[in-house]
Amino acid sequence: MKHNYLQASAKYFWIAKITMRSNLAYFGEIGSRFIFLAIILYIFMCLWRVTYTDTGATYLGDFTFAQMLWYLAITESIILSTPDVSQKVDEDVRKGTLSIHLIKPLSYPLYFLSMTFGERIVRFTMNMCVGACVVYFFVGPIGLSLKGILLFSLAIPLAFILDFLTYFTIGLAAFWLEDTRGLRIIYSRIVMVLGGMLIPIELFPDFVQPIIKVLPFSQIVYGPAKLFVNPSSQFLFTLLLQQFIWVCLLTLFMQYIYKLALERVHANGG
Amino acid sequence: MEASLFAKFYNYFLLVVKYVSCNFKSHMEYRGAFLSQVIAMFLNNSVWVIFWVIFFNRFPVLRGWEIKDVITLWAIAASGFGIADTICGNGLEIPRLITRGQLDIWMLYPRKLLPHMLLGRMDATACGDALFGYVVYIGFVHPDILHFIMFVALTLAVALVFIGFDILSGSLGFFIGNSEALTLELRFAMITFSTYPLNLFDGAVKIILYTLIPAGFVSYLPIQALRNLSLTDAFLTLLGGIGVILVGSTIFHLGLKRYESGNLLEMRN
Repeated sequence: MKHNYLQASAKYFWIAKITMRSNLAYFGEIGSRFIFLAIILYIFMCLWRVTYTDTGATYLGDFTFAQMLWYLAITESIILSTPDVSQKVDEDVRKGTLSIHLIKPLSYPLYFLSMTFGERIVRFTMNMCVGACVVYFFVGPIGLSLKGILLFSLAIPLAFILDFLTYFTIGLAAFWLEDTRGLRIIYSRIVMVLGGMLIPIELFPDFVQPIIKVLPFSQIVYGPAKLFVNPSSQFLFTLLLQQFIWVCLLTLFMQYIYKLALERVHANGG
Repeated sequence: MEASLFAKFYNYFLLVVKYVSCNFKSHMEYRGAFLSQVIAMFLNNSVWVIFWVIFFNRFPVLRGWEIKDVITLWAIAASGFGIADTICGNGLEIPRLITRGQLDIWMLYPRKLLPHMLLGRMDATACGDALFGYVVYIGFVHPDILHFIMFVALTLAVALVFIGFDILSGSLGFFIGNSEALTLELRFAMITFSTYPLNLFDGAVKIILYTLIPAGFVSYLPIQALRNLSLTDAFLTLLGGIGVILVGSTIFHLGLKRYESGNLLEMRN
């Protein structure tokens, strides 16, 4: 039995590995990403430099000026690494290729999860390297420690899984909706705002902060980014716990929707 | 002579009206897709407005700029960009048309190549931008009639800046071959710098923002014009727009001499 589990997980590991390798082939893309991130981070640097100078504050929402820039580099890297999961699922549903996947000895959601994971790890690492170079050039280093990087590496996989679960479920909505693009855009914009991509949650109005901090969006973007610039075991523990709870809840929801969706699959011919 | 110039202008005006109407009708054939793109752009821009609302809620004044000023900036930039690419949507396609030799098709018409080619396409998302700018300006700023008239005029002047920049950045394709990636980066820089207050930047960057990436004509002069109801600033914005168009079309026509037709058989789409 144990052997079977190992064999099954090995399949998905190989899918992730192959996707990673095929994504590494597009290394040239890094050049265009460099300009994009450099412009965004330069503008953010000007904006926050003026803000810190005008307010005379050393810390704004627990962040120094340099930490703020590093935080924004991480949040941008996370958002820019989002793969188009829901679009692919949507196409599989519309074109009927889903039925081909269903006859393979693979779980369709797990197949997508491993593929997405492999793709996202590569894209995120590339973005982060570019973002780190740009921010290092603008504001210099922040006190990074091995512990911080380790804590960050623990939080980021669950953040990607959380994001995947929502995008996958949105893709499945193609069974009922004419076009899932709208849902996709709404979700991605909610993640940008409530996830703290543009501004840390500490700078949101005080009364909304407790609510936003328990929502899954902040655990995808804000949580890992904050952990990177301000590592703390206490914060990691809370974050992992919240991420775990949301992963469980969203997995259950996704499975329910998936079950309903499969009942609507009709395959004809060969 | 004057009459013929007026007749020419009127003739081109009719052409613009006809093209906009035809392009709109062709989008209406796929109503659902068109509306979803308009709504998507609306939502996309709303994210930035929400960001600024949160930001100004925490820091009410930024180098003399208040929330109303930044919202006005977003409204002008979005509607200016939107009007530009709603009417002259092919401006975004210039690098592709050059690379694939698709300018050939536009050369066959008894019209001036550049203005006619620019009118050939309407960008659906740009309609969302244009609409967003007006809705946000009216909804957030509550302008009086004088400010609103000035706003409309400024959005048209800003649209000229964007059209000129589309031509300018797109024409790079004549000189460096496939310029799609570079043009995209330049346009991204133009749009991004246009949506932040100019006084965040200093020194050499400010000079760049009035020359190479003329975002200053979007993010500073129009706001000053609206703040003080200043005709001088409004006139300078218009002058900026005309200037960018002139530079853009000069570069385009210089580049056109280097254009090589393709042997690919293609239909106009």
